[in-house]
Amino acid sequence: MRAEVVVIGGGITGVATAYFLAERGFKKVVVFERSYLGSGSTFKCAGGIRASFTSREHIVLMKRSIELWGELSRRLGIRYARSGYLWLARREEDLERLKRYSSIHNQFGVNTRFIEPDRVEEVAPALDTSKPVGALYDPLAGNASPLDAVHKLYLASREMGVEYRFEEVRRILVEGCAVRGVASDSGVAEAESVVVAAGVWSRRLLEPLGVSLPVEPEPHHAALTEEYGRLFDPLIIDLESGAYAVQTFHGHVLMGVEIPEQPSWEPGERLAFLSKVVRVWSKWLPWLPSANILRTWVGHYEVTPDHHPVLGPVGSLEGLFIATGFSGHGFMMGPVVGEELASWIASGAPRTEEAAHLTLRRFEEGKLIKELAVIG
Amino acid sequence: MASLRSLICFCEGVTTEDVDRALEEGFRDLESLKRRLRVGMGPCQGRYCTPMLISYLSRKLGVPPERLAPPKVRPPLEPVPARLFLGAEHEG
Repeated sequence: MRAEVVVIGGGITGVATAYFLAERGFKKVVVFERSYLGSGSTFKCAGGIRASFTSREHIVLMKRSIELWGELSRRLGIRYARSGYLWLARREEDLERLKRYSSIHNQFGVNTRFIEPDRVEEVAPALDTSKPVGALYDPLAGNASPLDAVHKLYLASREMGVEYRFEEVRRILVEGCAVRGVASDSGVAEAESVVVAAGVWSRRLLEPLGVSLPVEPEPHHAALTEEYGRLFDPLIIDLESGAYAVQTFHGHVLMGVEIPEQPSWEPGERLAFLSKVVRVWSKWLPWLPSANILRTWVGHYEVTPDHHPVLGPVGSLEGLFIATGFSGHGFMMGPVVGEELASWIASGAPRTEEAAHLTLRRFEEGKLIKELAVIG
Repeated sequence: MASLRSLICFCEGVTTEDVDRALEEGFRDLESLKRRLRVGMGPCQGRYCTPMLISYLSRKLGVPPERLAPPKVRPPLEPVPARLFLGAEHEG
């Protein structure tokens, strides 16, 4: 059987791409996943969704992604809430940074604004606001359940005829200057187009083709408390440390913060992370020391030199497409990336001009993009 | 609502009927079933439900239980008050 499109990777990027391809009428789309759906980076992430970035590319694409999150949530019943982001500053220098970010957001039509302590109390009753606070609120932001999102996109795309194979792609096959398909342990799957959406592991699939992907596997940790009633609605960020915390739909408080780490393919859990994340969040959430930690885990940010993804076709090989390098923002961008790739594959061009700035070529041409607001 | 007798996961209230439905949806390994149904994601961390799920799946799929890999264990093994980590700065 010759597929129209093979997608490598069953994370948010892979299932969203398959979904939008099927929606465009593609009949033979095959997704390969070597482990379980979401097993790479998607199910390790916090589920935050925002357009409050500082680059035109991120903001424009994320605004579209947020529209799509709303639509997908209505259509497929994905658990998604536009419950905001709250950026917190206690130091003068952090407040200055927030003011700079906010003016960029506003310039691109993302209406972040500073809110007063009484309003902070309304959206985040469990937050300590007794000390002076600068709080920047992003009402357009929100979060979705990574588990629910991937599973429902999988079920809906399967319903539309997408085939899922739970085996590992060993090689991408090339003939002349075009892709021919992929090889897995069960044989060869011929395809007109191949989408590499294998997260940080995409690098290893592309290397044998002479395609060098500037993506580093950066370990990032997260921890989760037991379930509680409503504590705070928005995802909260401590600007000083870059730590985030979000209360999941189930009631758990999910927290992350950066600790010094070297790039690693197989990182392990770290006590130093738990220590730091509890210390940072105890400043804002004074009850946290008495809360129980239920789980901790580690995943990857697939980091590029400019913290923007690598999207779209690879000039040198016809039919080969890449979607990785999201640098910590792959889940939130999932829907728009799926839509852009489906457009690229169907019509040869992305739907949004800004997506074309994000191809692999920018590294050869030295056209890197700037982003200031990377957290967690 | 399912009857009490069919409960597999006490913490999250998952029944054998829920498992059957997930199997039909194509979720056939324990890592996937955990994330589709939340089996083993409650405070017991799978201590009680995972063995029952393995036993049920083994009969249902006709696979010996030792071939059904339990989900990866996430530390800590049981819920631990967050304050205990405050002093753990330099231990890795």
